[in-house]
Amino acid sequence: MENMDLPLIVLVVSFLLLLMANIPIAFAIGISSLFTLYAIGGLPEWLTMAHQIATGIDSFALLAIPFFILAGQLMGQGGIARRLIDLANVPMGRFPGGLALVNIVTCMLFGAISGSAVAAVSSVGGFMIPLMNKEGYHRDFNAAVSITAATTGLLIPPSNVMIVYSLATGGIVSVAAIFMAGIIPGILVGLGLMVVAAIFSVRHKYGKGATFSFQEGVKRFFIAIPALLLIVIVLGGILSGFFTATEASAVAVIYAFLLSVFVYREVKLNHVPAIFLQAGITTAVVFLLIGTSMAMSYVLAHENIPQTISAALLGVSNNPIIILLIINLMLLFVGTFMDMTPAVLIFTPIFLPVIKTLGINPIHFGIIIITNLCIGICTPPVGSCLFVGCGIAKTTITDVLRYIMPFFLAMVIVLFIITYVPWLSLALPKALHLF
Amino acid sequence: MWKPIKKTLDRFLEALVALAMAVLTIDVLWQVITRFILKNPSSWTEELATNMMIWVGLLGASVALKYQAHLGIDYFVNKLGEKKRLWTEVIAYLSISLFAVFVMILGGLHMVVITFRFGQLTPALGIPAGYVYLAVPVSGIFLAIYAIEFLIETLLKLKNYGTRQNAALIKNG
Repeated sequence: MENMDLPLIVLVVSFLLLLMANIPIAFAIGISSLFTLYAIGGLPEWLTMAHQIATGIDSFALLAIPFFILAGQLMGQGGIARRLIDLANVPMGRFPGGLALVNIVTCMLFGAISGSAVAAVSSVGGFMIPLMNKEGYHRDFNAAVSITAATTGLLIPPSNVMIVYSLATGGIVSVAAIFMAGIIPGILVGLGLMVVAAIFSVRHKYGKGATFSFQEGVKRFFIAIPALLLIVIVLGGILSGFFTATEASAVAVIYAFLLSVFVYREVKLNHVPAIFLQAGITTAVVFLLIGTSMAMSYVLAHENIPQTISAALLGVSNNPIIILLIINLMLLFVGTFMDMTPAVLIFTPIFLPVIKTLGINPIHFGIIIITNLCIGICTPPVGSCLFVGCGIAKTTITDVLRYIMPFFLAMVIVLFIITYVPWLSLALPKALHLF
Repeated sequence: MWKPIKKTLDRFLEALVALAMAVLTIDVLWQVITRFILKNPSSWTEELATNMMIWVGLLGASVALKYQAHLGIDYFVNKLGEKKRLWTEVIAYLSISLFAVFVMILGGLHMVVITFRFGQLTPALGIPAGYVYLAVPVSGIFLAIYAIEFLIETLLKLKNYGTRQNAALIKNG
């Protein structure tokens, strides 16, 4: 027992210390894993780490990630967000707090197209927050809406983190299955956020947005069709077996490129290399995280941590309801200080044995873990979505916190509904014979 | 002497990453085209794409370091005074440098040597797999260069900070 505990202590303590010293998370994960290898002893430490990093990112399925990032960047700068906002305004603008609702619906659409929450915050929030400020909505409320709404895109496919989850399960869960599973939960989270935004808006007497004539509505719909078509191409292509997820993502890139450069004409050709570079950098940040997280996951597996935690959890109870509650609470805690990609890669293999023992479908569990960590990327001290959103709204984390709390509450409630009603996640993949 | 070399290196790496992203896209589109239009799926596109992705992901990591795009938690260090914060930066860049040198360069080279020795070839393209894994030590070199540059900059800031403090003391005292 003693021999087994030391490496784990080394891992946790060194990781937390490195994080607190503001060492980039990818390196903090790598370095603490390295220390742990020394504590274990008997392995060629440097070689093992290098090997884990290289093989960790050696997967064709992961290739969809740079492509969705690239497509998201092209669309973010290609005026697609604005056209979706125009469209969302038609049905939602008439209600009290209309702009907040428009913001949420647009994030759901945009997130669905780009698969990235940070892209949604910067593109949709970057446009909506100033607009809402001008209409008298409170700045920190606007930031809170944009930050939390952006996470719906991680549940509504395509979604990069779902690809990462599929990788973390070792391919037990197909990308297509987890994509489909996320649709209903993603819409539920969006609805939950809308309820909070509407209540707040009524209370603060935020005005209605515009109403539109039927003709104007139709016109806006037609303008947005090319953007919406992307969802159809990607999801339809994957589901019909036309494309693999990776191929669909490459098609999304070329489609977004044609759309923003030639159809909407908001991206100039000479800006394209800069967009490619930016996408390459974002990709590299994610990939280094994946590489070192896979190394940490390897170290944990080497130490039999998944089995130990599995046994400990099953020792507490073998009631799925209680185990899922404990797992959710653990993940909510993890999510506050860990970014989504490493958390999925490290904790999926840890919890998967328990999940299997209890007969919980790993597709359903994927949706639980992702919904849970969606809350995590909006919470301090580490929350990529929170950071970007605060930056765009020109406010501080402390100021936003008061306004974001009711949204967190809504997300937690939806998380528990999703956790205890597996049908919400499994109905679509089952209907489409994906498992 | 160092500045122009460094600038060329920056440009070269950035162009390489952007170009690789473009080639990646075209490569996978080619795979789709060969399957649907030419009805003759290409066998090497998938492998080429995966190998290039490893290179982009790792080389890009050094460019990302230059742009300070790697996420960290600045919540705690922001509570420290200027001088202490600079010291945490020294620790951070030192850790990254050491990680780059020992794990990525030395560990990576070891891995490459082993892979070459086994004579492992990639299945479709038939190139030695060692070339793919060479991405680890090569990007380790660039990571180390950027991290050490930041490290020196921070140390210089600390040094100037000390003299600035002294100057202020002398002036006030």
